[in-house]
Amino acid sequence: MKRGMTHLLIVISYLTLVIFPLILAFDRLIWVSGFNPSNWVNSLEANYISQGVLWFTIKQAFLSTVVTALIAIPIAWQLGRYEWRFESVIKAVLTMPFVMPSIIVTMGFLQITGSNGLSLRDDSSTWLPTLLIAHAWFNSALFIRFCEPVLSNIDPNYLDQITLLPGGNTRLKRIRNLWAPLLFPSVIAASCMTFVFSFTSFALVRWITIGDDSLESMMASIASSAGIQGYMISHNEIILGASLVQFILLASALWLVSSIQQKRQKQIRQSLEKIVKSKNKTGWLVIGPAITFAVFPLIAVLISSFRIRTTSQTGTHYDWNTSAWNFAFSDNYSLASANDAIFNSLGYATITVLIALPIGWFLSQTIVKVESKNRFLARVLDLFVMIPFAVSSVMIGLGVMIGMIKIDPEFFYSLWITPVFAHVMITTPFVVRILISSRRSIKQDYLECAKVLGLNNKERLFKIEFPLMKHSIFIAIIFVIAMSLGEFGASWVVTRNSEWTTLPILIDSLKGVPYNNSLTIPAACAIASILMIFTIITFTIAEKFRKTNTGGMF
Amino acid sequence: MLKITNLSKSFEKILFEDFSLEIEPGEIIAITGPSGCGKTTLLRIICGLDNSESGEIYVNEKLISNLPPEIRNVGLIFQTPVLYPHFDVENNLRLGDKNGNIQSALKEVNLEGFEKRNIDSLSGGESQRVSIARALLAKPEILLLDEPFSSLDEELSFQLVSDIRKILKMRKCPAILVTHNINIAEKFADRIVSLNK
Repeated sequence: MKRGMTHLLIVISYLTLVIFPLILAFDRLIWVSGFNPSNWVNSLEANYISQGVLWFTIKQAFLSTVVTALIAIPIAWQLGRYEWRFESVIKAVLTMPFVMPSIIVTMGFLQITGSNGLSLRDDSSTWLPTLLIAHAWFNSALFIRFCEPVLSNIDPNYLDQITLLPGGNTRLKRIRNLWAPLLFPSVIAASCMTFVFSFTSFALVRWITIGDDSLESMMASIASSAGIQGYMISHNEIILGASLVQFILLASALWLVSSIQQKRQKQIRQSLEKIVKSKNKTGWLVIGPAITFAVFPLIAVLISSFRIRTTSQTGTHYDWNTSAWNFAFSDNYSLASANDAIFNSLGYATITVLIALPIGWFLSQTIVKVESKNRFLARVLDLFVMIPFAVSSVMIGLGVMIGMIKIDPEFFYSLWITPVFAHVMITTPFVVRILISSRRSIKQDYLECAKVLGLNNKERLFKIEFPLMKHSIFIAIIFVIAMSLGEFGASWVVTRNSEWTTLPILIDSLKGVPYNNSLTIPAACAIASILMIFTIITFTIAEKFRKTNTGGMF
Repeated sequence: MLKITNLSKSFEKILFEDFSLEIEPGEIIAITGPSGCGKTTLLRIICGLDNSESGEIYVNEKLISNLPPEIRNVGLIFQTPVLYPHFDVENNLRLGDKNGNIQSALKEVNLEGFEKRNIDSLSGGESQRVSIARALLAKPEILLLDEPFSSLDEELSFQLVSDIRKILKMRKCPAILVTHNINIAEKFADRIVSLNK
C-alpha cells in the first residue's frame, strides 16, 4: 500500500510537471489570440510565414521514413541473420548516430555537401535529398534496434519448420509467410518513431533546407514574439494550430507504437540456446557502405575543425592548424567560451539523470503494474508519458519560458538550473521506454517466488528487481546523459534570454556569426567534435552493458 | 520405403557410425536411447536440417540425401509445437497445404471448430495436435516425430499417441518416433530400434 502510494504520487507529480508548462503555454497563447481551433489550423495556410510548412513537414517526414527503411532494413537483416567479426563494435557504430546531437549531424552534412566538400548547396534542389539522407543517417538505428533482435534471437525451429512445409519451401514463400509477418510490427513501430523524429526535426531542417521550414523550426523562429498581448496575434494562432496538428498526428503514431510494443513483447518465442549463425562474405557489400555512411559525417566534422579557409590575393586556400580550437576555448569574442558550455552541459546532464531516472523508474513500474489489470489504462498512461515526444521540444521550451515569465522571469533567468526542467521533460520518456521493456521481460514467477520467500517490498526491490534490471538502468543513465548533452530545441527557446549556454547552443551561435570570420565554422566544428567525443564515450560504455537479446526501442 | 545406409555423424563425439535402417510402407517405428545419443540429430539428418558425414537416405527408392529440406517431402513434428504466433490455427494449417480441407484436417485430430482460434489460447496438447494436422496436410512421404509427447502429462500423451497412430495407419503413412519413454514407444510403434552407444 505504502509503495502503491509512492507510485501514485510520482506519477501525478510527473504528469503535473509535463502538463503544467504546456497548460501555461496554451493558456497564454489562447489568452492572446482567443479560443478558435479552426482559426488556428486555417491560419497555417493563410499566413505567409506558415504557408506550406505543414505539407512540407509531412512530406519530408514521410519520405525520410521510406528512405530510412530502405537503407536500414537490409542492414538489420545482415546483422541479425549472420555472424560478424567484431559484431558488437559494428552494431555500436551503426546505432550510434541515433544518440548523436542533431546539431553535429547538421554540421557533418553541411561540411560534406557545402563548398568545402561536394559543393551541392548552391543548388537548392539538393537540400531535400540531403535532409532525407541526414534523417536516414540519424534514424537507421531505430530500424536496427527494432528488427535486428527479432531476426537474431528468433527460435530457429520457426525457420526449420516452415522450410519443411509447402508454405515455406521457397525463399519467396518464407519471406511472405515468415519474415514479413514477423518483422511487420517491428518495421511499423520503427517507421512510426522515424516519422515522429523526422516530423519534429529542428536543427537539421533549420540549417540544411534554408528555404523550407518544418512546423518545429517555424514555431521556434516565431516563439519569441508569442504570448505578448496585442503583438503579432497571428503568430500565436500559428503556434496553436501547428501544435494541435502536430499533437494529433504524433500522438496517433505514438499510440500505435505503444500498442505494438505491448503486444510484440509477449508474442515471439525467442531461442533459449545460443544460435549458431553462418558467415556471409557478400554481406560486407551492405555492412561496409553502412559503416562508411555512419562515420563519414562525424569524421567530416572533426576534419573541418582543423581546416581553416584563408583568402588572399592569390585566391582561397586552406591551412591545417588548431587555431579554431584555440578560438573556441578563448574568451575574446562576444559568445560564451567552450569551457563554460562544457561545464553547463555536463552539469545539466548530471542533474537531469538524478531527476529523470527515479521518475522514469516509478513510471515504468506503474505502467507494467497497471497493464496486468487494465491494458487500456496502461496504454493511456504510457501515451501521457510520451507526451513530450508528441508536443515537440520547442513547445516544451515555450511552456517552461512562459512559466518562468509568469512566476518570476528575473529569478528564473538568473537561475543556473532552469534549463534542467526542459531536459527532464524530454529525457524521462526515453528512460521509461528503456526500463519498461526490461521490466516486462522479468518473469512474474521471480517476483512471486520472492514474496513466498518472505522478502518485503524493499528487499524485493534491491535483491530482485534492481539486479535483474541493472543493465537497462545503466543504459538509461547513459542515454539521458547523451540526450541532455545534445538537447537543442527546448534549450534554444529557454536559454535565449539567459547566459547559460550549452554546447549545442554554442555551436548554433557560432554558425550564426557572419561568414567573414574564417574561424567561426571550424570553431563550431571543434565544439561539435567535443560534443561528439562525449557522446561516443557514453554510448560505448552503454553498449558494454547491453544484453544481446535486448530488443525494443533504444 | 525409407532406406538409410551407412550413415555416420559425429559432433564432439561419434553419435552414430555406419547406421543403417529400413522401414516398410506404412510401418511405424520408434527409436529409443539415452539423452545425447543422437536421436534428434538422426531425424534432423533425415529431413535435411543437418548433414551427415557419410551415408545415403532413400525415400521410395529416390535418393534424397543431397536434396534441400524444402523438397524432400519429409514431415517433422518438433518436441515443442512450433506454431506461428502471427497466424491463427487456420492460417498455420494453410502453411501445410494452401488449398487443403482445414475442417477435415482439424476433425481428424479432434479439434473441430478451432479454425479461428489464436495460437496462444491453445493448450499444450491442442498445440501439438495442430502441428500434427499441419504436417499431415502437407502429405509427407514419411513423418518424423521428435519426442512430441514429452511436455504432456501421461494420460494426455497416451491419448495422443493412440490418436496419431490411428491416423497414420489409416493414411498408411510411415513414421519414426524418437523417444526415451519405452512405454510410449511400445504403444506407438510396430518396431522399436535402440540407438545405444
